[in-house]
Amino acid sequence: MKYFTKTTLIFIMLFSSYSFAEIAIVVNASNKTTLSDNDIKRAFMGKLKKYSNGDKILVLNLKFGSVTRNEFDKKALKKSSSQIKAYWSKLVFSGKGKPPPELVSDKDVLALVSSDSNAIGYVDAENVDDTVRVVKRF
Amino acid sequence: MKIKSSLLAVSSCLLLNTVSNVAMADVNFNGFASIVGGVTTASGEQLYGYNDNIDFKKGSLFALQASSDLENGLGVTAQIIARGANDWDPKFEWAYLSYDATDNLRFLVGRQRAPFYMYSDFLDVSYAYPWITPPNGVYNLLFDSFDGIGILYSGQLGEFDTTTHFIYGKNDSAVSALGETITPDFKDFTGLSFSANREWLTLRAAYFQANMTMPFQFLQPLQNGWAQTGFTDISNDVVMNGDKGTFIELGMQIDYNDYILNAEYTNLTLDHTPFGDQKSYYVMVGKRIDNFLVHITYGKDDDSKNDFTASAPFGVAPTLDFLKASTQQIIASQKSDEKYLIVGLRWDFHDSAALKFEYTSFSDNLNNTNDANLFRVALVTVF
Repeated sequence: MKYFTKTTLIFIMLFSSYSFAEIAIVVNASNKTTLSDNDIKRAFMGKLKKYSNGDKILVLNLKFGSVTRNEFDKKALKKSSSQIKAYWSKLVFSGKGKPPPELVSDKDVLALVSSDSNAIGYVDAENVDDTVRVVKRF
Repeated sequence: MKIKSSLLAVSSCLLLNTVSNVAMADVNFNGFASIVGGVTTASGEQLYGYNDNIDFKKGSLFALQASSDLENGLGVTAQIIARGANDWDPKFEWAYLSYDATDNLRFLVGRQRAPFYMYSDFLDVSYAYPWITPPNGVYNLLFDSFDGIGILYSGQLGEFDTTTHFIYGKNDSAVSALGETITPDFKDFTGLSFSANREWLTLRAAYFQANMTMPFQFLQPLQNGWAQTGFTDISNDVVMNGDKGTFIELGMQIDYNDYILNAEYTNLTLDHTPFGDQKSYYVMVGKRIDNFLVHITYGKDDDSKNDFTASAPFGVAPTLDFLKASTQQIIASQKSDEKYLIVGLRWDFHDSAALKFEYTSFSDNLNNTNDANLFRVALVTVF
């Protein structure tokens, strides 16, 4: 019984650390456009290139392998990071497109998004500050 | 794929600079590689160039792509692939200038891949698809690349994201086939591919045609013989000389909740040539389980050729009989009725690399001495 509770606890902890890390999709504070879940997905897959007001979308990604990136790929894009990597490989090696720049940390994303009105990125929801506008939480 | 160190450095210190300003000017390097080992499961069996001696060279390749963004939508890209099958002799598979006229319209000028199949554009990037290589039965045209112009238009049709790809150009790169190395001439190579994607569904269709010449020496005596006996039509049909070839492809992909269904059908028609018309298809189902993908593929090839010597009588003259028999032998050799079953496993064990295992069971319904079983393993990566 004791063993059972212990393993259950570990499972719950493992599980919760995955499912409770909330991702915030952020844009520049001056950007008042709305984005549906599908718009967000298409933007990060390089398919949607303009906001509803006609402004160009500048997508910022996080480095492959980061925990936030994995969560974002899983929750917002509904794919594993490997699948996303395979997706971009197809475009890169066939002259059809190139992946968004990959930044190292949430801090870099926030800094760029707060200074560029075209930018869209995502960060761990806990790191959001008032220099950016959150359009969606996953 | 690589993060630009310059971008990172600048983005963290010069916050006023936009990324688009910073990202220009330098050259990006990307690459991919496959190391493939293969062996047939019994002595005497041969399949796709493999036999019962394990081989790590034939299917292996290394590729490097360099690309640079010039200003105003102009870009330049070159992709060099060194293949074990060519003794690691590096070749330019792609070398083109691209121009983005708008967000949705891109022009490619130079050497590029013809979008014959669903996986043509990234045929050698094994990391990008489930198998070690796409099924040979379908993916078996004599050439993959051409020199010319490509126009890519991405649009939307209702809820679908669409890509329309038009190409025009030619290919005259030497090929080895039927025991000869020849310089073919595929002129006025024209084609259109269209694909539509919505969430888990992708549909694709393509059509290509070319004016084809393949000067095989072994066909020359037959051509001359038929011409001398007055059978001009047969004389023309026994060679491929300025004949129109057409190719149709239909493809689909479903990727739903970790279940995958891929299918592709192709139809190659080579009228007025001694070469067979080919109808091929495969259907693949797979399931993703964590970092693994298990898949199974069934495919079939049906090649046929009508007897274009029918107008020549038999038993009238020995020369004619000889010509007819020799030509009919070639016609017979163009027929095939083959099927295969592929069972495979892909394991994404690393951020940028995957390990793949594949077992292929091939059977030739016209000649069962060609039946073979092949086991392959591959380490594939992108960088």
